[in-house]
Amino acid sequence: MRQVLALVFAAVVALAVPAWSNAWAFEGEKELYEAAKKEKQFTWYTAHYDSETAAAVCNGFEKKYAGLKCEYVRTTAQVAYQRVSQDMKAGLAVASVFSSTDTSHYGHMKKEGWLQPYKPKNLGELIEGFKAYNDPDNLFIATAAGLVLITYNTSVVSDKDAPKKWTDLLDPKWKGKISIGHPGFSGYVGTWVVQMRKSYGWDYFKKLEVNKPRIGRSINDTVTMLNARESWVAAGPSATTLISKDKGNPLALVYPEDGAILMISPSGIMKNAPAPSTAKLFMEYLLGKECNDIMVKFRQDPVNKTVKVPAGMKSVAEVKTIRPTYEEIDKGIPEVKEMFRDTFGI
Amino acid sequence: MRWRHLDRSLLLWLLAAGVLVALVANPIARLLWTSVQGAGGLTLDNYVTAFSRWRYVEALGNSLILGLSVGVLCAVFGVPMAWAVSRTDMPGKSLVWIAVLGTFIVPNYLSAVAWILLAGPNAGWLNRSWTALTGAAAGPFNIYSMPGLVLVVAASSFPYMFVFTRSALDLISSEMEDAATTLGAGLWRTTLRVTLPLTLPAILAAFIVAFLEAIAIFGAPALIALPGRFQVVTTMLWQFFEFPPKVEVAAAYAMPLLAITVLLFWLQQRIIARKGYIALTGKGGERRMVRLGRWRWVVLGYCLFVTSLSFFLPMLVVLQAAFAKAWGRGFSLDNLTLHNLRFVLVDQPLTRAATVHTFVYGGVSAMLALVLALAIAYIVRRGLVPYGRALSYVAMAPFVIPGIVLAIGFYASYTSPPLVLYGTAWILILAFTTRFLPIAYANSDAALRSINPELEDAVRILGGGRLLALRRVVGPLLKRGLAGAFILVFIPATRELSSAIFLCTAGTQVLAVLLFDKSDEGNFEYLSAIGLILVLGTVAMVLAGFRLVGRDFMLRRTAT
Amino acid sequence: MSKLVLTGVGCRFGNVAAVDDLSLAMAAGEFVSLLGPSGCGKTTTLRMIAGLLHPTSGTITMDGEVISSPGSSLPPEKRNMSMIFQSYAIWPNMTVAENVGFGLEIRRFSRADIRAKVDQILEVVHLGHLRDRYPSELSGGQQQRVALARAIVVQPAVLLLDEPLSNLDANLREEMRYEIRRLHDEFHITTVYVTHDQAEAMVTSDRIAVMNQGRIEQVDAPRTLYARPRTRFVAGFIGRTNFLDGEVHGDKVLFDHFTIPLARFPEAGALHGRVSFSLRPQSIHLHRVRVPQQPLGAAEGACVIAGRVVQRAYLGEHWDYAVRPLASALQLRVTARPHEVFEVNESVWLELDPGQLAHIHDKVAHPG
Repeated sequence: MRQVLALVFAAVVALAVPAWSNAWAFEGEKELYEAAKKEKQFTWYTAHYDSETAAAVCNGFEKKYAGLKCEYVRTTAQVAYQRVSQDMKAGLAVASVFSSTDTSHYGHMKKEGWLQPYKPKNLGELIEGFKAYNDPDNLFIATAAGLVLITYNTSVVSDKDAPKKWTDLLDPKWKGKISIGHPGFSGYVGTWVVQMRKSYGWDYFKKLEVNKPRIGRSINDTVTMLNARESWVAAGPSATTLISKDKGNPLALVYPEDGAILMISPSGIMKNAPAPSTAKLFMEYLLGKECNDIMVKFRQDPVNKTVKVPAGMKSVAEVKTIRPTYEEIDKGIPEVKEMFRDTFGI
Repeated sequence: MRWRHLDRSLLLWLLAAGVLVALVANPIARLLWTSVQGAGGLTLDNYVTAFSRWRYVEALGNSLILGLSVGVLCAVFGVPMAWAVSRTDMPGKSLVWIAVLGTFIVPNYLSAVAWILLAGPNAGWLNRSWTALTGAAAGPFNIYSMPGLVLVVAASSFPYMFVFTRSALDLISSEMEDAATTLGAGLWRTTLRVTLPLTLPAILAAFIVAFLEAIAIFGAPALIALPGRFQVVTTMLWQFFEFPPKVEVAAAYAMPLLAITVLLFWLQQRIIARKGYIALTGKGGERRMVRLGRWRWVVLGYCLFVTSLSFFLPMLVVLQAAFAKAWGRGFSLDNLTLHNLRFVLVDQPLTRAATVHTFVYGGVSAMLALVLALAIAYIVRRGLVPYGRALSYVAMAPFVIPGIVLAIGFYASYTSPPLVLYGTAWILILAFTTRFLPIAYANSDAALRSINPELEDAVRILGGGRLLALRRVVGPLLKRGLAGAFILVFIPATRELSSAIFLCTAGTQVLAVLLFDKSDEGNFEYLSAIGLILVLGTVAMVLAGFRLVGRDFMLRRTAT
Repeated sequence: MSKLVLTGVGCRFGNVAAVDDLSLAMAAGEFVSLLGPSGCGKTTTLRMIAGLLHPTSGTITMDGEVISSPGSSLPPEKRNMSMIFQSYAIWPNMTVAENVGFGLEIRRFSRADIRAKVDQILEVVHLGHLRDRYPSELSGGQQQRVALARAIVVQPAVLLLDEPLSNLDANLREEMRYEIRRLHDEFHITTVYVTHDQAEAMVTSDRIAVMNQGRIEQVDAPRTLYARPRTRFVAGFIGRTNFLDGEVHGDKVLFDHFTIPLARFPEAGALHGRVSFSLRPQSIHLHRVRVPQQPLGAAEGACVIAGRVVQRAYLGEHWDYAVRPLASALQLRVTARPHEVFEVNESVWLELDPGQLAHIHDKVAHPG
C-alpha cells in the first residue's frame, strides 16, 4: 500500500514540478531552461562545500529544473584548480561552472581567458556586502560565504575557558592542544594567515609556534582533530564544524571578539563550458532562495539576503568579520606560505 | 628454407618489449626532459633550485630514513610471520593469512587516520588506556613523529615481505634443512643459517619494494608527517605542484630517488650473484612442519600482535566510525547509524560510479601488468632479445617514481596528440599498469626463476613452440604464483591515490580519490564508510579470485 | 648417408670456447655417446644438436639439411627430435599418461591413437600401472622411465640424452643402462647420449666420442677405444692404464731400463723418435718364474721383464699390484686374479704383450 502511495506521490510531484516551473522567476529563465535541455553533461567543479552539501545543492537544481542533470566534483580548492588547468591544457571541456575558495585562482583564470562573462539576473538578491567581491567584468560572482573562527571540543574545554579572541590562542595553557590547517593546502587557512599577519604581524605566528600547534592540511582537518580530542581548540571553519556538531560531536564555535575571517568564494562559467545555458541557469540558482535554503541546512552561510540562518548559528551580518582585500590575498598567500614554512618547519 | 628457422614467437617478444618501453620510457623521458627545461631552453637551474634549500635536502634525508626504517621494520614484522606460516605447526594460520591480506587491502591513508585515533599523543585510545591503567600524566605513543610514520607505513607494507618470504620458504625442501640438522645444527641454528639465507633474495626483493613504497607514499605522510612537523619527498613534491606548479623543479627533485633505486637493484644483483642462489629449484621436495611445542603460542602471539597493529586495531576504528553518527562520541548504541553508508552508496551517485571504476580499472590494470611483466621476465630470463637485461630495469623503473610524479609524466605524455588519453579511463588504467608493473615483474621473475628451463626445453624438443610451452607448462606451474601476483597488483591498484588524484576526471572517479577528498573535509564518518566499501569490495574480489584458482592449491599432492 | 653431421662446430660464451671445431658424423640408427669430464662441452654440443643453443661456428646438418649454423638455427620444435634431460623435466602439472602423450598430441594423433601408444610404451618401460599418477608421486627411477617413454613414444628422428642417469642410485643406474640399450635395440632411434660415466657409455653405445676441453679426442667403438686409445687423455679417462715413454733406436724401442724390439709392435712402421704407449693393467701378467717359451727378442708373443712388487691391494675380485721393473723408475699397475698371490718385495717376472701396447698420438702432451 505504502509503495502505491509513494508512486502516486511521485507522479503528482513529477506533474507538479514543470507546472510550478512555469512561474518563471526571472526574465529569460524559460529560454535558458529550454536551451539547457539540449546541452551536454553539466559538471560543476566545486571547493565551496563538503560533498554532502554539494550533493544536496545539485539535487535541488535537478529538482527545480526537471530533466537537467547536475554532476559535481568536490575537491579542495588547489585540486579543483589543478583539475581545471589540466583540462584546459589538454583542451578538454569538462567543467561548466568552477567554484574555488582561493580567490587568486580567478585572477589567473581571467588572465588566461578561461572564463566567460555572465551577469546573473538574480544578482539583486545577493547580500549587499558581498557585491564588492564580484568581478567588474562579470566573469565571476560571489556565491558562497563562510567564516574562519575559533572552535573547540566541549568535552574538554568549558565555555568559560574557551578562547575569546585570536590572541587567546597564544596562552601557554593551550600548548600542544591547538589545531590549525596549512596555507600550502587550504585557501581558507591562507586567508586566515594573511589576516592574522595583517592584524598582529608575523610575531603572532612566532608566538603560536611556542604553543606547538598541530598542523593539518585543510582547514577541515581541525574538525577531525577536535573530534578526536587530539586538539582542544582550533582555528576552524564555521560550516564543517557545525555540521559535525549537528551529528552529535561535542563541538562549539567562538566568534572572535577581534573578528571572524570572512571568506567570500566566487563561481564562474568556463569559456569552453559543455553546457553554457545550464551553467547560467546554475549561477542563477546558486544565488536564488531555493539553493540558499539548502545551503543553510548544511550550515553554510547564505549569500541570498532573503534567507535567514537557522538557530545555532549567527548570520554573517551579526558577526564582527574581518577580511583582507583581494590584492592582499593575491600577494600575501605566496608570501605567508614561505614564512609559515620557515616558522613551523613544514 | 630459412623462414623455417624463424621462431615466430619472436615477433611477440619484440612487441612486448616495445609496449614496455613505450609505457614506461615515455613518461620517464618526459620527466627527464622536463627536469632540464627552463625559460631559455636547456638548463640545470631546476636542479639547483631543488637542492639549494636545506628544507628540501632534509626532506630527502627524511625519506631515506623512512624508507630504510620501513624496510627493516617490515622484515621484523614479515619474516618471522612468513616462517611461522610456511614452516611451523603454529595454530591459526588462516587467521594470520587473512589478517595479512586485510592489511594489504587497507589503504595506508585509511590506516593512517585510524592510527591518529589510536596513538594520537593526547587522545589516542592507546594513550588513554595507558594513562587510565598507569595513572601516568601522558601516554607513551606519539603517532605524529618519524617512528609513528614508520610504524604506520611498515604496518601497511609488510605484507610484501610476508608474501615474498613465504613463497621463497615454500620452495625450500626440508632436505636442505635436514642437511644442516644432520651436521648437528639445532632448530634455531638451522633456521638462521640455512633457511633464512636461502630466502635472502626474496627478503632483499621485499626490502627494496618496501623501501620504494615508503619513499613514494603520499597519503600517510600528508596525514602524519605534516602535523609531526617534518617533510618527506612526496609532501615536498606536493609543494612543488602547488599553484603555480613548478613541475620542472619537481622532476629534478625526483631524480635522486631514481639513482637510489638503481643502486639498490645493483646491490641486490651483486649479493645474489655472489652466493649463487640456485638452490631454489622448482622441484621443491617434501616439506615437514617444524614442531614448536609450547612456543607455537608465543609465535602466534607475535603474529597477532603484528596484525593487530596493521589490521585489527585500525579496522576496529574504521568500523566504529563508519557506523557512528559522530565518531568522536565513541562506542555506544545510540551512536549507531546506517546513514553514512546509505549516504555514500545511495545519495551520492559518485560513490557508486567510483566503486565500479575502482574495481574495473584495478582488475584491467592488474591483468595488463601481469601479462606484460610475465612476457618481459620471460624475455629476460631466456635471453630472447639482445640487451634483455636492460628491459628488466625498464620494468622496475616505475617503482622509483612517486605516483604523483609518474602521474605528471603521464599527464604530459597523453594530453597531446598522437595519443590523447586524458579524460578517459585508459590513462588511469595505463598509469596503474605502469605504476604496479614492478610488483608484477618482481613476482613473475621470481616465479619464472623457480621453473627449471628444461621443463620448457622438453616441450620444445617434442615439437611444441615457446607459446605452447608457456600455455601448457609454464602457465599452469606459475598459476598459483601468478594468482598471488595478480592480487598483489590488483589491491594496490584499487587503493592507488597518488597518481589517480591527478589523472581522474569527473567521469572517471575512483574510491581512493573520493576518500582522500573526504580526509580533508574532516568528515571521518563518510570517509570510513567509503573506506569500508573499498575494503569489503576488494576482499570480495580477492575471495572470488581465490575461488577461481583455488583448485591449484591442490596441485602439490603429497606422496602416498 | 649420415643421419646427423656436425662439421667444425664451435660455441663460444664470451671469451670461453665451450666447444671448439667439433666434427662428428652419425649413421642412422646409431647410438653415440659423448663422454668426458664435466665442463668438456658435451652438454653444450647436445644442446646445439637440439637447437636449444646456437653454434658460433660450423654447421649441423640432419638428413642433408642444415639445421644449425651461426646465422640461423631451426628452432628445436621443428627438428623432430626428443630429449631426456638431467632433471628429467617431467611436467609436474600433468599425469604420467599426459606427460607421455604430450608429444603425440602436438603431432595431432587422434585421442584413441594417443591412448594406445601411451599404454603400449608405458608397458615397455614397465609403468602401465602408474599412468594416472602425478610425477611427485613417483620415485626417481620411475620418473626416469617416464622421461624415456615420453621421448621415445614420438619416434623421433634423433633421441638426445643428457646425463639421464646421474640422479639415480648406483643399482638403479646399472639397471637403467641396460634398459636404455634394450630400448635402442627395440626402436633403433639415432641416439646421442651425454655422460661422464664411462661404464654407461660402454654399455649403451655403438660408438663413443671422448671429449676434452671442447674437442673430440677420439671416436670409436667401446672396445677399440679401450684397447687402442689414441691419446693420453682417452687412455687415462677410459679405465686405468700405464703410460710407457720410450725412444725408437734402430730396431729397438728403448724404455726405462728395458727394451722391446720394434718389430714386435703392430704399428712398427709409424714409430719414430720419442714414443708413448698405454698399457692396461690387465694386459700384464705376473709370474714367479720366467716364462721360458718366449725368449726376449723373439718376433712374436709376450715380452718378459724382471721386476719387484712394490705395493699390493686385495680388492676381492682381483689383486692390484704395483711392480717396478728392475733398476727402472717406472711403476706399473698390474691387475691379477685373486689366486695370483705375490708378496711385497717379491721378485717377479712381468709378461707383457707388445700387441696390446697402444701407441699414444698426442701432439700436445696432456697432463695426467
